[in-house]
Amino acid sequence: MLILSLAASSSCKKNIETTPISVITSSSFFKTPDDVAGALRGMYVDFRTTAANDMFWLGEGRSEVLTGAVAGAQGFDKFWNNTLSASAPNADNQVNFWKNLYAPINSANLMLKYVPDITFPSADTKNSALAQAYTMRAFCYFVLVRAWGGVPIRTEPLEAYDASTINKPRSSVAEVFALIKSDLTKALSLYPNITYEAGRNTWSKASADALKADVYLWTAKMLNGGQADLTTALAAVNEAQTSDVGLLPVYSDIFSYTNKGNKEDLMVVRFQLNEGLQNYWQTMYISNLTNVSAATLAVVGAQGVGNTGVNTAQVSKLVRDQFTTDDQRRNGTFFEIYDNANKYITSIVTKGSGMVNAGTRNFFTDVVIYRYADLLLMKAEIKNALSQDPTTEMNLVRQRAYGTNFAAHIFVSGSPAANDDAILKERLLELCTEGKRWWDLIRFGQAFNLVPSLAGKSGTPGLLLWPIGLTIRATEPLVTENDAWK
Amino acid sequence: MHTAYFHMPRKILLVMKITTFILLISVMAVSASSLAQKITLNEKKVSLEQVLKKIRLQSGYDFIYSDEMLSKTVPVSVLVKDASLEEALKASLKDQPLSFEIEDGAVVLRNKNDNLSVSVRKEIVWMDITGKVVDDKGQPLPGVTVRVKGTTIGATTDTEGQFKVTAPDGSTTLLVSFVGFISQEVNITGKSGITVVLVEDMAKLTEVVVVGYGSQSREKLSTSITKLDNRVLTDVPYTNIGTALEGNVAGLQVQTLSGQPGAAPRIILRGGTSINNPLGSSPLYIMDGIIRPNGLADINANDIESVQVLKDAASTAIYGARGSNGVVILTTKRGRLNKTAISYSFNGSAANAQRIVKYAGARDYIELQRQGYVWGSVYNPALLGNLTGATATGTGNTLAKNTGFTTQYLTPANQYKLDEGWSSMPDPIDPTKTLIYKETVFQDLIYRTGYSNDHYLSATGGTDKATFYSGLGYTSAQGTAEATAYKRLSFNLNGSYKIRDNVNAYGQLLYSNRTQNTVPNLANVFYRSASLPGTAKYTYEDGTIAPGGQNNSIGNPDYFYKGQYAPQGDNGVEDVAINLGFKWDIIKGLSFEPSASLLREGAYLYTFQPAAFLNGPAAALITSRTATQTDNVTRQEQVDAVLTYLHTFAEKHNVEAKAGYSHYFRNQRNFNATGQNAATDLIPTLNGSATPTVVNGTNNSLALDGGFFRFNYDYDSRYLLTVNARYDGASNLGEAHKFGFFPGVSAGWNIDKEKFWNSIDPKARMQFKLRASYGVNGNISGIGDFQPDGSFVTSDLYGGQAPIRASVIPNSNLKWEQSKTFDIGADIGLFDRRVSLIVDYFNRRTDDLLTTVTLPQSTGFSSIFTNLGSLQTRGVELEVNVNMLSRQSKLKWTLSANAGYTKRTILKLPSNGIDKNRQGGTYAYDPGTGGFVWLGGLQEGGTIGVLTGYKYMGIYQTDAEAAVIKDATASNRKKFAGDAIWADLDGNGTIENTDQVIVGNQFPAWTGGFNNFFTYKQFSLNIRTDFTTGASLLNYPAYIANGQLQGDALPTADLAANVWKKPGDVNAKYPRYMYQSLTGNYRTSNVSIENADFLCLRTVSLGYTLPQEWAHKMKMQGARVTVSGNNLHYFTNYTGSSPEGGGIDTGGDAGGRYPVSRTYSLGLNVTF
Repeated sequence: MLILSLAASSSCKKNIETTPISVITSSSFFKTPDDVAGALRGMYVDFRTTAANDMFWLGEGRSEVLTGAVAGAQGFDKFWNNTLSASAPNADNQVNFWKNLYAPINSANLMLKYVPDITFPSADTKNSALAQAYTMRAFCYFVLVRAWGGVPIRTEPLEAYDASTINKPRSSVAEVFALIKSDLTKALSLYPNITYEAGRNTWSKASADALKADVYLWTAKMLNGGQADLTTALAAVNEAQTSDVGLLPVYSDIFSYTNKGNKEDLMVVRFQLNEGLQNYWQTMYISNLTNVSAATLAVVGAQGVGNTGVNTAQVSKLVRDQFTTDDQRRNGTFFEIYDNANKYITSIVTKGSGMVNAGTRNFFTDVVIYRYADLLLMKAEIKNALSQDPTTEMNLVRQRAYGTNFAAHIFVSGSPAANDDAILKERLLELCTEGKRWWDLIRFGQAFNLVPSLAGKSGTPGLLLWPIGLTIRATEPLVTENDAWK
Repeated sequence: MHTAYFHMPRKILLVMKITTFILLISVMAVSASSLAQKITLNEKKVSLEQVLKKIRLQSGYDFIYSDEMLSKTVPVSVLVKDASLEEALKASLKDQPLSFEIEDGAVVLRNKNDNLSVSVRKEIVWMDITGKVVDDKGQPLPGVTVRVKGTTIGATTDTEGQFKVTAPDGSTTLLVSFVGFISQEVNITGKSGITVVLVEDMAKLTEVVVVGYGSQSREKLSTSITKLDNRVLTDVPYTNIGTALEGNVAGLQVQTLSGQPGAAPRIILRGGTSINNPLGSSPLYIMDGIIRPNGLADINANDIESVQVLKDAASTAIYGARGSNGVVILTTKRGRLNKTAISYSFNGSAANAQRIVKYAGARDYIELQRQGYVWGSVYNPALLGNLTGATATGTGNTLAKNTGFTTQYLTPANQYKLDEGWSSMPDPIDPTKTLIYKETVFQDLIYRTGYSNDHYLSATGGTDKATFYSGLGYTSAQGTAEATAYKRLSFNLNGSYKIRDNVNAYGQLLYSNRTQNTVPNLANVFYRSASLPGTAKYTYEDGTIAPGGQNNSIGNPDYFYKGQYAPQGDNGVEDVAINLGFKWDIIKGLSFEPSASLLREGAYLYTFQPAAFLNGPAAALITSRTATQTDNVTRQEQVDAVLTYLHTFAEKHNVEAKAGYSHYFRNQRNFNATGQNAATDLIPTLNGSATPTVVNGTNNSLALDGGFFRFNYDYDSRYLLTVNARYDGASNLGEAHKFGFFPGVSAGWNIDKEKFWNSIDPKARMQFKLRASYGVNGNISGIGDFQPDGSFVTSDLYGGQAPIRASVIPNSNLKWEQSKTFDIGADIGLFDRRVSLIVDYFNRRTDDLLTTVTLPQSTGFSSIFTNLGSLQTRGVELEVNVNMLSRQSKLKWTLSANAGYTKRTILKLPSNGIDKNRQGGTYAYDPGTGGFVWLGGLQEGGTIGVLTGYKYMGIYQTDAEAAVIKDATASNRKKFAGDAIWADLDGNGTIENTDQVIVGNQFPAWTGGFNNFFTYKQFSLNIRTDFTTGASLLNYPAYIANGQLQGDALPTADLAANVWKKPGDVNAKYPRYMYQSLTGNYRTSNVSIENADFLCLRTVSLGYTLPQEWAHKMKMQGARVTVSGNNLHYFTNYTGSSPEGGGIDTGGDAGGRYPVSRTYSLGLNVTF
């Protein structure tokens, strides 16, 4: 028996050697600058997965912007009705919030581990790769910490499974922000210049600055960062403004499928035909629409199919009515549908309506992470908080929005509180359905005042955090539930 | 009476000249069909003459002596085994006054003190015996062995069953034996021209079974192996031979999941070894020594000689790292010595869907749906728009082409439609208005009667030098769903040739080519489009066909699945297996068998969607014209070499020793591409496409190498011992665990062969064997070719450029999953072998389970594939075979029954810091303890496959009753009269996820079957049934339809008849029907998850064999006609289309299930 075994093992060893041809194994990867370029794009693919749906629902789902529509809610109504619970924190198909946000973090961690040891012909290329990884990690943690509070911090890539070390407890909010800020500092010191890569669908110095402003604005207002953080935020905005960025004259051009990576963008997530997922706007379109005028059908164009382009959610009447008809953002954001008897049926999004390929609508509008109008309104908010005049930024945004009717909508600075109200509303009109509203409501402290489904619940501010929920906690035994949801 | 036929007596004179002598001896040597080299004698006190006769018979040497010499001898006792002639003579003449010399092939005896030669002549007499062997139907049996008892003299029968044996005078008995028949001893005293009738051996306990790298008689078998009763394979056409196993092998769970012709059933042995994917634990399939990666797909059942299932670890240990889920061994038909035949068989059949779920009619739907929109508008006012929209029950439809449905209000303009077969009804929500609609039953358009035919032509022959078999098969089967079909051309050629006396070469070529048409999407066809509301337009006003409904997921089947708008395409597999081997008998008992084989499977697929209104009548014509093509080639090489030594020591110690080497290599090359935007529908292949959207290709390999041995020992067939083992290595295992050792040992005791048994069973009418086995097996299925190394994927694009993403976490510790199985069993024959019983108990523990371990979401990964956890599977298996009537009876009736029970317990799970290291499950309130528990999922101490759901308690009859409860799962919906009462386990006034209970288990506990075989004269009747108990099934199509979770689609007819409509409907079975079940009336519950116990009347077949004489008159060897029915009826309480499957009734696709078909067929078989 022994002899047989020995004989077999010596002869077998080479008989069972096979060469991986179509597989990149871990040992063969991360050796060359090309590997890094591929891995960078891989990181953005991971990011696209969370940007396709989760980041929107986290950033706007629970706000007053959304309401039910003609199709079945598929559990999404829990968001806008604010009826989340620890046992049912998600919509039917939104169960991987954390996994999808941590996947780009893991990709970034891989980059940060391996890139420093790879020789590049150009130091700039190497530094840019590292900078993008740091920015990515900072951004994802920023989404996580705003949604759930302190979350587990992982700064090492997962490369082997060890049951005893795999689980991590939650870190504090302060620890997460410390990591975010340190990552941003490193990132900004590494970006070789303030130019954009073609397409503007990768992190850049300017977009890292926008993120920095966003982060410091948040910590200024939410974590007693005060003047210091506001000043840092303002400096970051100012630096970002030195990049090649500006407002497009026509609002709907920002989201046009044929105008991707335009001058208004600082950072977008690229969605395009034959590239993976369609994104969240598909839940706000419509399928199977008939019994309406030909003019209406012409605006709607190709309808959705099945669960793609179905009217699950719509912009609420409360929000729709805040758009004046002379605001080009109204038609650039939604379209109200009336039947032949002129009875209101529902509304659909015009922003994010994607493109039509061979008769089929595809929701491949880029998801904007930061664009110039957002940056201007952040600047307005920072200035107002620093008791500076936000008029310039407000009027730049309004001028584009109202065009020839601008005169009727000129912003005039008032009290800091009134200015805040105006800025918050301007952000609503400007950034509607771009996944920003929930964060804005929290940052301005207006969630309980402006969201009807949260009315009367201000006694439990903890409700503004999301429940982590059983589905996530079932995989994370060390993670505890947020107090308000226990 | 006295009919002994004497050949010319030969008189041999001692004094004859030596030349004549040699001549005569050589004549005798020819007449004795073989000359044994070795002599075995075991005599006690018998006359020397008797001993000499025996030596003469065994050696073939003649004896020369005088009677006078023998008169002086004393009785002889002699014991020799495999001795030479000289040794045997020395031993026999030891104490005698005689000496011997061997002279030119004769033995000459002399008196010791006499130098003279014998002077008296001795007369030797031979006789020829001729006869014929037939079976109980009078059919001649060729190839039967006929032997003179006590000698090696014998012959085999020719094609006409005739034999001729030249036996020494005084021979009294012939032994007639043939594989598969009961051996007989025939008295030939004073007879010639004998006819021997051999009776087929129905006794399971003496059958020959194929074991790994060899075969063995069940009598000497100490492991657990089941051989399929071959009668199952005859008379019934199988497009997939796997279905023949259903209910026929104890412990083998075979489930027919689809009515698609050729579809493979799901086959799992003893519950499988996996906790993650027990439904994927398929056995290892080996046909003629060639591993079949695709299982039993595309094998022509007509080519198959035998099917055996190796069940316990001791029997499968010889297959090492791949044996733990059992091994199914198939052998194909071979040419036989002296049997030449050309045979043709035909089978024609007609099939219909066995069970179809009935959907509601149009009028019922309009009533229910319009009311449902009104009810639903309480929660979502936008739903009211559907009443006036162009929906199935809405009034926004027109006669124009832009609406999908016919429903509309009656107007003077459309009144004429009532004369064209349209129906009318009052609007249920406003009876002052009249609705009109035209009803079409769309589900009926999906199904048809499927006609099939199967042809098989074989030619076979053999001499003592060479044998060959060739079979040519063609099958063309229509599915019972429109446009589905299966076609197969198969070719089998095998032959052997004796190159030298001790070297035999054999070769084989197996070819099959099948093409298949399947439905484009099971769910879209079988439950979505099947439930397309009857109000949808079948044609437009201009007579052209309408897509109907919403889009191609719920649309007119005649538009989307048939004709010019239907997806086109084809998929097929071309399969070639070549096998070449030698058997070299080096010396007696020692043989060497090297073989090599090649299997090449080429699978291709192309699909094309012509321009069509895929998104429904209101949307644009979709012209993307997506075309795909896939080409996958698998090449598998195997080299095996086996050395076998067979020997019997000291008469009763039988030994078989085997050692072998096996190499396996598999390479897979896949290519697929998708293109779009062809200019026309004229070219369905990729060359028509303008835009490539996906182009992908891969190339992966797997290699295994193993050495194995087996040692079989038995003492007098009484004590049996088998030890076997394999040392196996696989390329896809982690660096530290490339090789594994898999031993198996088994022992048996044929108690009935013990002396003391005589006192229990003096007439030797019983057989009784106890056996036990233990073994260790491996399993590597599910491990990717390069899994331990981790991988980065390159799929997807970002901004048009190729990204690389980490997808598989490296795991260098990945190793085979290890199963240890203990099996104890008994083989019992009762009542003179009329009853045989095989029972087994097994206990298998699988460690290092290949498990997908859930990772914390914060790792960014959902799971890792690794070795963790232990599962115990225990079970009982029982096989009974009863010849119900006596052997003499003209009517013969065999009843065979089998059953297997399986129970799984999770022993260990990867430690994850959670109680019982649980993974998944449902968090629920436990009314017993008042606390919360986790139900189902994977938990240590628990089992797998637990199904949980809500508990249905009835229907609220008033709003007041309903007002007290809230429903958390759907945004705290308020409830009203007509809503379902769900058990509020914790009594907190809210129905939530935690209000769930265990409602079943998706895996069966008992599976088995009962088969009856009757024969009477020329007739035979087979009745096959099989059963499954213990499994529950989520009736997904009904759940979706009745909850209207799929959108504007029909509920079941049963719902329409029994739904709650108004307060006072106390006997209603279903809660109120509402769009999207907004109040949570339909959810996974003890209603939607149904018990799926069933007994299936699987096959009834009646056959008639033409009497021999008639056949001969028609110049045939034989002819047979059969009629049969397959999948005739399920006895079950399950209300869905098929109770088979377990889990979710989906057939593997979200909600769609191709119904099993009921087939009636007519078969004809003629042999020339």
